[in-house]
Amino acid sequence: MRAGATRAFLVLLVLAVLFALPRLTGNEYVLALGVSFAMFSVLASGLNLVYGYTGLLSFAQVGFFGIGGYTAALLVTERGWNLGWAATAGGALAALVGLVIGYSSLRLSRHAFAIVSLSFALLCMIVARDWVSLTRGAMGIPGLPVPTLGFMGREWRLSRPADFYYLLLGFAAAAHALMYLVVSSRLGRAMRAIRLNEPLAQSQGIDPLRYKLLALALSALLAGMVGGLFVFYLTIVDPSIFDFYYTETMLIMVILGGPGSFWGVLASSAVLAALPDLLRFTTDLRMVLYGAVLIAAMLLFPGGVAGWLARRRWQRWRSPRVSPS
Amino acid sequence: MTPLLEVRGLTKRYLGLTAVDRVDFDVEAGAVVGLIGPNGSGKSTIVDCLSGFEPADGGHWRLDGRALTDLPAHRIARAGLTRTFQTVRAYDELTLLDNLCVAAQEEDGVGWLAAMLRTGRLRSVEAAATARARELLDIVDLAEYAQAPAAVLSYGQRKLLAIAAAMMARPRLILLDEPVAGVIQQLNAEGTTLVIVEHNVDFIMSLCRRVIVLEEGQKIADGPPGLIRSDPRVLAAYLGQRGAAELGQGRA
Repeated sequence: MRAGATRAFLVLLVLAVLFALPRLTGNEYVLALGVSFAMFSVLASGLNLVYGYTGLLSFAQVGFFGIGGYTAALLVTERGWNLGWAATAGGALAALVGLVIGYSSLRLSRHAFAIVSLSFALLCMIVARDWVSLTRGAMGIPGLPVPTLGFMGREWRLSRPADFYYLLLGFAAAAHALMYLVVSSRLGRAMRAIRLNEPLAQSQGIDPLRYKLLALALSALLAGMVGGLFVFYLTIVDPSIFDFYYTETMLIMVILGGPGSFWGVLASSAVLAALPDLLRFTTDLRMVLYGAVLIAAMLLFPGGVAGWLARRRWQRWRSPRVSPS
Repeated sequence: MTPLLEVRGLTKRYLGLTAVDRVDFDVEAGAVVGLIGPNGSGKSTIVDCLSGFEPADGGHWRLDGRALTDLPAHRIARAGLTRTFQTVRAYDELTLLDNLCVAAQEEDGVGWLAAMLRTGRLRSVEAAATARARELLDIVDLAEYAQAPAAVLSYGQRKLLAIAAAMMARPRLILLDEPVAGVIQQLNAEGTTLVIVEHNVDFIMSLCRRVIVLEEGQKIADGPPGLIRSDPRVLAAYLGQRGAAELGQGRA
């Protein structure tokens, strides 16, 4: 239990520092990195739930993210909703779409799901570009207004840069708490069992489809909601919200951190959140660098950093033992 | 008394080949029944069909009067019929305790929300599952590895773990595809009915009071080991027609 208490203390400490950050520094660059971390950590953690826990390689997460972004932007600009409800609706729609593509493809195979998820992400971008009457096409919806959040009859206008930092950080904390409740419970154990050996899980009464759909819907809900919040930080939503670059960044965070490790992926998204910005000077080279890092990671740390650490811990069980026989 | 497992007309075809051909048999509650036959006689296919891992092309089967035909594997498992695998399966990255506890968690009726929120009921069923898991690890002599990941086990230990996992949810009947000698009696002592698939005829004959023999997808004999040993069709299946004839002459 002492390890649990230490971890809880560390988490509270990091949260306290993160929430105090805008008071400690007025540096907008630092806050922008914080926003990037909050957004990517939710996306990566969701992908980790789907890929790291249940073993489904999903390229659809960016689709959920963008659907949430578009839905929230349209509900706020066209219908005058406040941001909280608009982002929630975006998340709910993304979760529904996730259930539909999951249910229709998962009854075939994992591979069918990977292909369908990739096609879905590409389709999202085409729809965003070509359904002009709804999405306004390639130009997107620029100039999103300063949003308001309503809660218990009070309203807040998110006008200062630090407001978005607080909003996304608060949302990310809640989203991670929810995901942690899932993965650290026996639901997470069943999901890992499904990834490690699906037929064995079935022979033990576990219905893989239900758990895969749960992981997919939860990750889609959170990706959609964070997308809905993030577009108002950008103040624009256009088809580039479905860019493959988001998928790549999420994947690299999950694979380096360690698929199936909640803390590993959280830590790697903190470290790597700065990466897109550090590599901004070289957009073309970025893809090559990402590819190289991914290949190196696959060769050196097949289970990510967390997997490598776990394997080191296993060593003590491999030492020769005296067994009566 | 109605048998625990009733199988009627079970048939499975792969393209032109009939791997299992209208097989009927019953298994009484508490029995240990051997299922033997030469390579390719359909033993493992029967296990795959009955446990829901391969769709059957014909026939039906019931456990305790309840129809299981065409149910998905996880529903058949929850109905009380489970299996082990010829290629031994375990969750390598999970500890032995988790390997066992996960095997029982769909049976206790605690919902997802309760599992996430760690209600009192969830904690008490998980404590009971952990106690049962430790008890089973003791039986298969793996107690010292309770907190180790399954990946560190040897092949023989993995087989024992797989059998312990199959016992976890207290199934009515286990289809054991290639078992481990030492633990069968202990499992049966818990009241679990066992159907054992084996290549090793001597092992089966010494263990089971009833043996079913398959050849080319058909049941050719069913009875106590003494009768099976002298059944001319069984001898022919294992030794070939000529061998059986010579053996017959030698005896005569």
